[in-house]
Amino acid sequence: MSLVSDTEVLEDASASAPPRQISVAQLVWWALILFLCLTPFVLVIAISFGQKIEGAAWEWAFTFANYERVFVGANWPEQFTVLYLQRLYYSLFYAVIAAVLAILTAFPFTYLMTRLSRRAQSIWLVFILSSLSLSEVFIVMGWDVLLSNRSGLPMVLKETGVTDWLKAVGWFDTLREWGLANPRNVKFKTSVFATVLTMAYLVWPYAVILLYPPLSRLDRSMVEAAQTMGAGPWTVMRTVVLPTMRLPLLGATLLLFVFLLGVYVAVTVFAEPAKQTMAVSVYEAIRGNTLNAPFGAAQAVVLLITASIFLAMGQWLSKRTAA
Amino acid sequence: MLRVISQGFMALSAVLLALPIVVVCGAALNAGRTMFFPPKEPTFARFYEFFVADTVWITALSHSVLIAFASAVLAVLIAWPVAYGLWARGDAGSKLLAGLGSMPFALPPIVFGVGLGFLWSFSGALGSIWAGVVSHAALFVALPIVTISIGLQSIDRAHLDAAATMGATRAVAFRTVILPQTLPYTVSGFFFALVLSFNEFIVMFFVSASSYSTVTLQIFNSLRNGYTPTMAVAAILFISVSVVVFSAIARWGDLPRLMGAEPAKT
Repeated sequence: MSLVSDTEVLEDASASAPPRQISVAQLVWWALILFLCLTPFVLVIAISFGQKIEGAAWEWAFTFANYERVFVGANWPEQFTVLYLQRLYYSLFYAVIAAVLAILTAFPFTYLMTRLSRRAQSIWLVFILSSLSLSEVFIVMGWDVLLSNRSGLPMVLKETGVTDWLKAVGWFDTLREWGLANPRNVKFKTSVFATVLTMAYLVWPYAVILLYPPLSRLDRSMVEAAQTMGAGPWTVMRTVVLPTMRLPLLGATLLLFVFLLGVYVAVTVFAEPAKQTMAVSVYEAIRGNTLNAPFGAAQAVVLLITASIFLAMGQWLSKRTAA
Repeated sequence: MLRVISQGFMALSAVLLALPIVVVCGAALNAGRTMFFPPKEPTFARFYEFFVADTVWITALSHSVLIAFASAVLAVLIAWPVAYGLWARGDAGSKLLAGLGSMPFALPPIVFGVGLGFLWSFSGALGSIWAGVVSHAALFVALPIVTISIGLQSIDRAHLDAAATMGATRAVAFRTVILPQTLPYTVSGFFFALVLSFNEFIVMFFVSASSYSTVTLQIFNSLRNGYTPTMAVAAILFISVSVVVFSAIARWGDLPRLMGAEPAKT
């Protein structure tokens, strides 16, 4: 009986119900969702073709000037500027490293977590969801205190003598070359290291949540079978777990990557001025000093297209996983 | 040996995950204006400042609470028919509708925020609180869509068959079978939207147009002037709300199942 789909059953039960047609309620819901979830994106795309007029306003137009400015600079073809391409590059650069870092560390954690009792899993999930939902502003605040020169890790390293030891073995100079030290002590603000670390931290709980379903549905009997046949834990991981997890791992990395493209606070606080991302310049163009809404919109569209490409790839991967 | 490594790794992960949160919360006890950790001359004066003395924070907090509650209610109301259509009809149209509803959550929030800023400035609602409420509802409608869909999928079809056999109409079956069984999932979706709205700031930044501020927005705006221990009090409040809400979901709902584990074998 359960083979009969429920809609059929319910329709049989209420024979007086009108035949399937698009109701007013359905139309209203379509209008609502289209207005709220689609028009904002459509507006961003439309305005990206507009142009700025002197003062603080802009007008509708159909020009590719804003995109030109993003990709080749405003004075093309006399002069070729890579400023905004560089920002896009840093968006991708930080996001890739932080996403991979988060997945690499979250994977073994989630694997171990799914082997705990359901009650223990619930407790871990509460902890992870709480940290996941905590606003970026607080997390950046925390890492800011932890990495600041006065009261953070650099001070701890100096007090415990690690800094002197680093100087003695000569690694300190290497750190200085990497921009992770000033003449007196190690420093993390501002550096690529601090930016990537905070970004990886931001998405780490998200990585656990994404890897949790495939790992908890992993067929334990396969693992047990491999163990009975004498496979050690590493062999089991390599021959049973990792092959089945390949696509979920890739899919999760893509989602984290897309999420990280939009990170704003961590980048403004921890990245050097020359290494800011596109999300930051979108913000600057629309609400910051420059006040050029169409140009900001064009950059937002570039970000949007980048994100969409990777989301589509993730979607395709998950379809392949399901098949 | 391996057991020790495993437990050590999990403990290390927990410590690292908690570290910045503990540091922020600890910094709230500072007596001075600067964030030190461990705090200097620990005091609870900053709590008094945040909750009583400083009206800026109280106003911001009331906006945060109002927007979080109202937008979560609205998100659930919008999400229900979408999730129901997805489950009951499952045709391409309802899949597309659910996909459109999830789009704002999946794409970089800064882009959606910029777009909403344009949308509200055209309709003249930029800077009004209700525009903020609607914006957050649109941003987080994806969450109740997902949780309610999980709830609907877990309904035993035999119950529906039984209801139909006993002559229940569509409406009665909905009220007596579907609604009660999906209630925990609806509530979970509501709380997910609530907590995330409470913590969100970048969309709110573009939508509020500086005419009002929420707590996270207030902190975001004072980013360049540096943090003060009073802001850390907000962090304590926010993390407490999250822990309480998710503990409640874990206590009264099936959190592992909501997060995508197999249904518990009872």
